[in-house]
Amino acid sequence: MSELIEKLLEAVEFGKIDQKSPYPPQLRGMDGAHELTKQAIESGINPQRILEDALIPAMGNVGKKFSENKIFVPQMLMSAKAMGASMVQLKPFFASGQMKSKGTFIIGTVKGDLHDIGKNLVAMMVEGGGWTIVDLGVDVGSDRFIEALKNNPGAVVGLSALLTTTMVNMGEIVAGIKGQVPGTKVLIGGAPVNADFCRSIGADFYAPDPQKAVEYLNKLAS
Amino acid sequence: MKQHKIRLYPLGKEITVNDKTPLIDLLHEYGIEFPCGGKGTCGKCRVSLLEGEIEISEKHRQTLDRLHLSSDSRLACMSHCTDSITLQVEQFDHLILADETEFEFEPESGFGIAVDLGTTTLVAQLVDLQTARILAVETLLNPQLKFGADLISRVQAGLDGHSTEMTELIREAIGQMISLMLAQYQVVPDKVVIVGNTVMQRIFSGMDLVPLSCYPFEVEDLGMKTFTSEELDWDFQVSKSIHFYPSIGSFVGSDILAGIAATDLHKKEKFTALIDIGTNGEIAMGNRDQIICASTAAGPAFEGSSLSVGMRAVTGAISSLRLDGAKIISTVIGNTEPKGICGSALIDAVAILRKLDLIGPFGEIGTGEDSLRIDGAVWLTQRDIYEFLLAKSAIAAGIEILSKNLGIDTFEIEDFYIAGGFGNYVTVEHLLATGMVESTEEKIHKMGNTALIGAKMFLFENGDLASEILGKTRHINLEGHPEFQDIYIGKMMLE
Repeated sequence: MSELIEKLLEAVEFGKIDQKSPYPPQLRGMDGAHELTKQAIESGINPQRILEDALIPAMGNVGKKFSENKIFVPQMLMSAKAMGASMVQLKPFFASGQMKSKGTFIIGTVKGDLHDIGKNLVAMMVEGGGWTIVDLGVDVGSDRFIEALKNNPGAVVGLSALLTTTMVNMGEIVAGIKGQVPGTKVLIGGAPVNADFCRSIGADFYAPDPQKAVEYLNKLAS
Repeated sequence: MKQHKIRLYPLGKEITVNDKTPLIDLLHEYGIEFPCGGKGTCGKCRVSLLEGEIEISEKHRQTLDRLHLSSDSRLACMSHCTDSITLQVEQFDHLILADETEFEFEPESGFGIAVDLGTTTLVAQLVDLQTARILAVETLLNPQLKFGADLISRVQAGLDGHSTEMTELIREAIGQMISLMLAQYQVVPDKVVIVGNTVMQRIFSGMDLVPLSCYPFEVEDLGMKTFTSEELDWDFQVSKSIHFYPSIGSFVGSDILAGIAATDLHKKEKFTALIDIGTNGEIAMGNRDQIICASTAAGPAFEGSSLSVGMRAVTGAISSLRLDGAKIISTVIGNTEPKGICGSALIDAVAILRKLDLIGPFGEIGTGEDSLRIDGAVWLTQRDIYEFLLAKSAIAAGIEILSKNLGIDTFEIEDFYIAGGFGNYVTVEHLLATGMVESTEEKIHKMGNTALIGAKMFLFENGDLASEILGKTRHINLEGHPEFQDIYIGKMMLE
């Protein structure tokens, strides 16, 4: 049983989506996250264990390696896709209450900005960290963040911006969120922002990479 | 180190260079074009030696014989400075185009000025409209550089209240360049044609930058802008017109419009692509029926600004790298100690490191260390390699998405024209090896500064050529394509 968990951890960490996927070369022809998750569920492994002992540590390793420049965006995306192939099979157990997530994370690219790759990677990594994701997409203003918060009380919010000309919109959104839903934690990220900017607009945390976002969220959840 | 004085006739310029500096490095700065990319095949960079000596190799002599050039002729791309010399530069005497037969101009009396207003560099040429001869050239760095290297930082500076200052700086700089050229000839120009990207057009014209700062990035009034010398505060008269040519879209300007004119993209039967790799990377693709174009966020790495060892193509920059067995041989601009690496050599470096298996298919350094030595004190870090992968995949994804929009496969594109200063140095083999352009060597053509070539062509027309091209050309947003993310990330790999 634990062998399946180990194999799934490896498949997700190295981005093996399913058996027919050619990537990564060293796992060619072997079962991927899709098959291994199916086998794990069928053999009666507790889905919560699949999440906590395989997916979360696998994505944690991916996040750390990305943080250290050991891997780059394509490998991270492949891992996220492998995780997705596993997660889709775990979704029913979340719905039925057999599995619990660590919390809800609402994420969006701020008003005026259309760049979403960075935001998508963070969403995938946070999902792989055991959180439920509400992705509001791009060009999102404070009203939509507030609406999502009202539907998901206690959720944490993540704001992304890629342009110096749009990161200024973060300040207004943080103020709107903190005014309407006091106590909400807001983290920010994106190429032009930094910790000083984060402080200046009253956000709670600046995440320089996806892994730091996951670590911050896990601290909040613990 | 030994130095030499190089005099350029008829420019009247005198430049001091280090011993063994390749002539291509020197002349490139003065707007000389090397259509074959310095391979010695086209003969367009020929110079006449008026004084001093240029050592000549056997290959160089054979090339001169093959091209039937006289004994005092040299090809700049095969020459090095080993003596103080005076050169007559053929390109200053003739309007040089990749295909001269297709450029038909109606001789007019008078003089014109063509200006390529780049985000980083400015180039202006004084042209005799009777003969299309280039009489003088001036180059300058864009004085707006103090507000940042890339376009978004210029837009940001505009929002921060520096719009008027940037407008004044650029008008003054171009006015000075023109004045210097006019002073040599004591003539009154009839026409000035300026081309540049949309942000440069709006700053020069003193227009609002807010629409370019955020979504939906929609800009009204992209059309031709017309000025008088008084409005621009220029101290010389222009007898007929001063035009800043129309932009194509929010981030694709008249420099690409000029590039389309220069490559005759709008007349081609077969699918053709123009790739201009400058501070921004723009791509135009199509044929005589339709052209689509887009901008990509490719620039910063190729201009060196986002790399730890990056620099522009100036003295001390490694301009190219090649492999001799397993040894990496570098060429340094100005033949000095290498201080950094410019965009063209960055492509060489990544292609060579991959070939030697020092980096893997994701650009990862095999040893697990954080950097690799290229030459002397120049190291490439893991981060630099990733920056390159982002830039190259931006271009490669742009090519693929434009192809999809035209309903064709990338391999159906018959010709790729590589423009921009970068294009003169880039090694085609390496461009292909990195997957930045997915094609074959014979389909890749280096074109030099197509914006400037097109601007010169616009001196001989009344706006009809520009209207004809604009009528066929659409601008698209690459990120709007539903598969953008997967294509973009997929192209980051090195096969």
